[in-house]
Amino acid sequence: MMQTVQTQQPAEITAAAKAPPAAPTIAIRKSCNPDGIGLSHYVLMDKKAAK
Amino acid sequence: MTAAVLNRANAGPALVPVDIGHDVYAAVTDPCTAFWALVDKTRIAESLAGGPLLDAYRDKTDAFARELHALRFELKPSGVYLNPTERCNLNCTYCYLPGKQRSSGSHMTAEMLIASLDKLHDYFRSVMPEGRKPRAIFHGAEPLMNKGAVFAAIDAFADDFTFGLQTNGTLLDDAAVEFLTSRNVSIGLSLDGPSADITDATRRTWGGKSVHARVLAAMEKLKGYGSWSVITTCTTENLHYLTQMVEFFHVNEVPTCMLNTVRCTLPGARGVKPADGDMAKAFFAAMDRTHELYRESGRKLVVANFANILIGILAPTARRLMCDISPCGGGRAFFALAADGGLYPCSEFIGLPRFNGGNLLTEGGVEAALASAAFQTVTTRDVDTFSPCGDCAIRHFCGSPCPAEAHEMNGGMEKIGAFCEFYKEQVNYALRLIADGKANDYLWDGWDEGAGTTFDLCST
Repeated sequence: MMQTVQTQQPAEITAAAKAPPAAPTIAIRKSCNPDGIGLSHYVLMDKKAAK
Repeated sequence: MTAAVLNRANAGPALVPVDIGHDVYAAVTDPCTAFWALVDKTRIAESLAGGPLLDAYRDKTDAFARELHALRFELKPSGVYLNPTERCNLNCTYCYLPGKQRSSGSHMTAEMLIASLDKLHDYFRSVMPEGRKPRAIFHGAEPLMNKGAVFAAIDAFADDFTFGLQTNGTLLDDAAVEFLTSRNVSIGLSLDGPSADITDATRRTWGGKSVHARVLAAMEKLKGYGSWSVITTCTTENLHYLTQMVEFFHVNEVPTCMLNTVRCTLPGARGVKPADGDMAKAFFAAMDRTHELYRESGRKLVVANFANILIGILAPTARRLMCDISPCGGGRAFFALAADGGLYPCSEFIGLPRFNGGNLLTEGGVEAALASAAFQTVTTRDVDTFSPCGDCAIRHFCGSPCPAEAHEMNGGMEKIGAFCEFYKEQVNYALRLIADGKANDYLWDGWDEGAGTTFDLCST
């Protein structure tokens, strides 16, 4: 069953009888060593800190 | 890694479809690994029945489960939020710190601040890899109320910490700006409106005076500096002006801002809490406007809190803010030091004595605090384990922030935060941007430097 996490403008999702070519699937993930320490009261800008 | 996680990974992928409100695409996610894909919404059943997507993901399921588990449970602190004073010269409506502390509290002496940083340095050296500096951020109340101690500490530990400062901006005179920028200190300001009448609704002095013009003067001084940002706290008082706010920031060359929902930890904040739907409508109108401004000018105004949601989807380990993950970063990726030496999981808890994990200088220090029941209450808050988050397809893009407000406003750690529906909408908006190929327009240039691609699929 599909979850609807949207709460505004719900859209119906139906299978078309005569479907056009499928839209290409998009899936990407990147990875690095985590070093985030920000919180909602502050965001650290590491880059180009010199005037 | 727990046996449960391994068993889950070994059982193979189980993707959950999610309506993101896009004309062409729906999302499918594996909530347990924070994996996602966008598939033709007329072919969801086909996509989930088998084929290249499932084949490719099956090969990565275990690695992604391990990556997310490490991010959620295996970090060591690498930053500290330092509160060098209890006092503030402002009396903002929604502040998470008790009014008595802010009006008549104590300063930390320079000697105590330096002794604290000395001890913190020893701790960080014991857990962080060689060559990586810990971050130390001077934080609210208003750190420049104790400027002498703060500046002495920055000079004493210039080689040992990367420093930041979050300030209301009212005490940021020319000499302070020169001191901080010459030492590459990252500076955050706060401003709630594009004009004084709007800012004044929530941010004024104890005597009721406006500080809008003083913050604008500070912004002017920081133009051209590479490392500054401005936080706007979104409330019922300024919600209708968020689009004007981003226009104002853009014209004033603010490189990064945050449009944060008000944290509802203390009762004063709840009086100006916007409804989720109202927040979403105003926020996305402002986000759309930042994109128009970028297209018109070629210059980005990054809205960091939203950028972090987007990054959390594209590269979970690259997120910079640690609120939107469960457990949150409080007591895990960072912790807070109060002006009396008390250690807390996050500054948000400083007004809540039951979350005090002991004293840095007179009790067991950081290790004891991290192991304390006070910290563990926060660091074990896990969205996998309570309803409704445990069944939510996007729970690891959101994290159900914030534990402080969940506890104080909604009655416990196993409750949702204050803006559940708004977070769902942010994730949908982010996924729609990815579907439309616009995600990078909302992110810092070079946001993924140092990140490798671990999954990349574009197929029919």
